[in-house]
Amino acid sequence: MHIPDGILPVSAALSGYVAAGGVTWLSLNRIKKIFKNPREFIPRASLLTAAFFVASMIHIPVPPTSVHLILSGLMGVILGWFAFPAILVGLFLQAVMFQHGGLTTIGVNACLMGIPALLAGALFRSRRYFGADRKIINGLLAFLSSFLAIVTGAFTAALLLIYTIPAQLNVSAERAAIIILAGAHLPVALIEGVFTVMVVLFLLKVKPALLEGDRL
Amino acid sequence: MIAEVVVSKTAAESLFGRWETRLKVPALLLLVFSFAFIRDLRLLPLLVLVAALIYAFSGLPFKYLVYRVRLPGFFLLAMAIILPFWSGQTIIWQLGPLALRQEGSLGLLLVAVKFFAILTVVIALFGTTSLPQLTVALRTIGIPWLITDLLLFTYRYLYQLSSDLRRIHLAARLRGFKGKSISALKPLAFISGTMLVRSHEQSERVFQAMTLRGYGNSSLPLPLFRPLPADYMLLAGSVFISVLLIIFQLIM
Repeated sequence: MHIPDGILPVSAALSGYVAAGGVTWLSLNRIKKIFKNPREFIPRASLLTAAFFVASMIHIPVPPTSVHLILSGLMGVILGWFAFPAILVGLFLQAVMFQHGGLTTIGVNACLMGIPALLAGALFRSRRYFGADRKIINGLLAFLSSFLAIVTGAFTAALLLIYTIPAQLNVSAERAAIIILAGAHLPVALIEGVFTVMVVLFLLKVKPALLEGDRL
Repeated sequence: MIAEVVVSKTAAESLFGRWETRLKVPALLLLVFSFAFIRDLRLLPLLVLVAALIYAFSGLPFKYLVYRVRLPGFFLLAMAIILPFWSGQTIIWQLGPLALRQEGSLGLLLVAVKFFAILTVVIALFGTTSLPQLTVALRTIGIPWLITDLLLFTYRYLYQLSSDLRRIHLAARLRGFKGKSISALKPLAFISGTMLVRSHEQSERVFQAMTLRGYGNSSLPLPLFRPLPADYMLLAGSVFISVLLIIFQLIM
């Protein structure tokens, strides 16, 4: 899901910066409206961002290999509007520390992960209409939020790559490449969906305040 | 798990290390975008030359570059499997159903050179600049304080949480946790949940301690901006090369 430098044309990279700038502006505006003193929530958002960063490095064994989780859906569920800035910061740190992702593509990558995360958060918060304390509702919405966040991000990334790579693929090759690229993320999306259900049900029992999203 | 980003003494004292970060970041950002703009294969040697010169001036060892390129290189490997065999119509070599195509191979060459050239400049930038310096540069180019504060605090707690995770993992292993099959998903989810709860609780104490030290009363003043003539010369050089690359691409 992390598109590195040099793959996308400059128009796509710049559009990513513009789009990420717009969504960041929207997120910060919402944060300033929701919190009287947003500075008060910086340590909390930072610690949770760091916790997500570290948790995403846990390798989940899927014999004969292992996968690492993206956790964008869970970030949307827990961080609410802070999810987009948190993902932006996480991607910047990954670029600085591991050269994972890219500097010219940071806007595109932030949108690929951050917008589905915001939508996942909104989907999970709809639990108040179905019963916020019902285990089955929490579990179902947690799975859908996380699963859809990964699938949407992967599918959009695949489309972007196929339609912007330098040489033109033929139609059947295009279709096959999209299916392979997006399909490769399907097992991760399923595992991440189940993982998110487990974390959400754990938090529902131990610290339900963490599931309040925008109230953190 | 997470190795701290340390700017070596040699790199910090190199030409790039001493370059004022508030000029270095926008200058190199413009340069990498001009690299990304290139579509003409004839300009690729120029990209390689500029990237090599920048890395040479950064004072970073060559093995550091090789080490850093390894991880993102895997993505390129995936492109190398897809592009030359699926992209284009002109077949230059065939073995049974496997056909190597000219357009795809040239596309891969363009992507690979741009990828390594941009990565080399990015490694030179981050290898010669500490994160607090980068944060100051980001503030100067207009990134909101909410983002830069979030960045600094996240970086601050990353190492602590990473060592917490190592400790939790070790404790789990001592109790017999093997984590070799998919059934490890539940304990790993609980470990992640525990980290989130601990972080949430710790953040309350952190905020109280920070408030006592004056956090939130006013924005911290940025260090004085005192660039030297050499800083402006490096900026002018970077802008010149970037504009030249863009013009070459447009006229070729």
